[in-house]
Amino acid sequence: MAGRRAAIKAIDWAAFAERVPPDQRAMFNALKTRSDALAARLAALPEKPPAIDWAHYKAVVAKAGMVDEFQKKFSALKIPEPVDTQSAKIDAQEKEAAKSTAEYVQASKARIVQYEQQLQKLRTMIPFEQMTFEDLHEVFPETKLDKEKYPFWPHKPIADL
Amino acid sequence: ILHSRPLHTTQQCLAPLPPLPEKGGEVRHGLIPEEFFQFLYPKTGVTGPYMLGTGLLLYLLSKEIYVVNHETVAGACILSIIIYGIKKYGADVAAFADRLNEEKIAKVAAVKNEAIKDLETAIEEEKKEQWRVEGRSYLFDAKRNNIAMLLEANYRERLLMVYNEVKKRLDYQVAMQNLKRQKEQDHMIQWVEKNVVQSITPQQQKESIAKCILDLKALSKSAQAAV
Repeated sequence: MAGRRAAIKAIDWAAFAERVPPDQRAMFNALKTRSDALAARLAALPEKPPAIDWAHYKAVVAKAGMVDEFQKKFSALKIPEPVDTQSAKIDAQEKEAAKSTAEYVQASKARIVQYEQQLQKLRTMIPFEQMTFEDLHEVFPETKLDKEKYPFWPHKPIADL
Repeated sequence: ILHSRPLHTTQQCLAPLPPLPEKGGEVRHGLIPEEFFQFLYPKTGVTGPYMLGTGLLLYLLSKEIYVVNHETVAGACILSIIIYGIKKYGADVAAFADRLNEEKIAKVAAVKNEAIKDLETAIEEEKKEQWRVEGRSYLFDAKRNNIAMLLEANYRERLLMVYNEVKKRLDYQVAMQNLKRQKEQDHMIQWVEKNVVQSITPQQQKESIAKCILDLKALSKSAQAAV
């Protein structure tokens, strides 16, 4: 009997909702409605069915032994608990998620470092009034004219002018 | 002013040169640099360069080293027009040229500022995504909860079903018994009634009707008094 009562943790749906990115809102809403439906279904069912009044039936039913037989079989009956097939999958999913999130966080941190470097370069560059063209090409490498690929003026395809 | 700008005279230095000065050197009368006047000031005071200029001019004219001819008049007219034009529109033209330059710089500065802003927002977004990712435990808790609720609900449903079935069968037995007893009672009552009605013979009927009439007469006698 103790095995069936897997602890139902209280979920903070508000905090959960905050962390959902906007493009996954629909999935989150579906999950929430499903959870709420299950919770409602669970709450509607009584925890134990009411006890059968055997004494009353023994007094009323004329056929001898029937009530006794029923009572014996009823108390001997063991209802099997439903088997949990999905928890292992959920745990596997969780491990997967942990791994992929670790990778993502690492990539994200690398990106942040890159951004910070670029930001630093932009913040400490010399003002435009004092720059030469070479200095400009240093800070904004995309402005450099490729003199090998386009040897003739204007050193870039005409469409880019 | 060029002297004041220190060029790299010694060995190779990677630092950039200091920027060019904003304004050119000071000039008097648009032509003669201020340094000339400063140069002559210690020896000849304030009027020195002017005296020098006037004397030089008079010397050139009187000795006819510079000959006054029609070119002089043409030159004087052209010069006066030029000076008038510069005095009147010089400032505007300068402002226009400065504005062109400023626009160029403003464009590039806008590009730079936008780049900075984009980078900052990108960093913010990345941090936010990291925070979001931390909340993934909620999802798995919700899933596990769902599973637990489902199992529990199923189990309870099964219990309830068993109870309902057993109760239904017992109630059926009870209801059957009640029905049978009721039918037996009804049948017996009917049978008794039928027999009683059959056993009433015509003789008994006449006797009972006569008795009823006598009773009625007696009752009417006693009733009249009341009315």
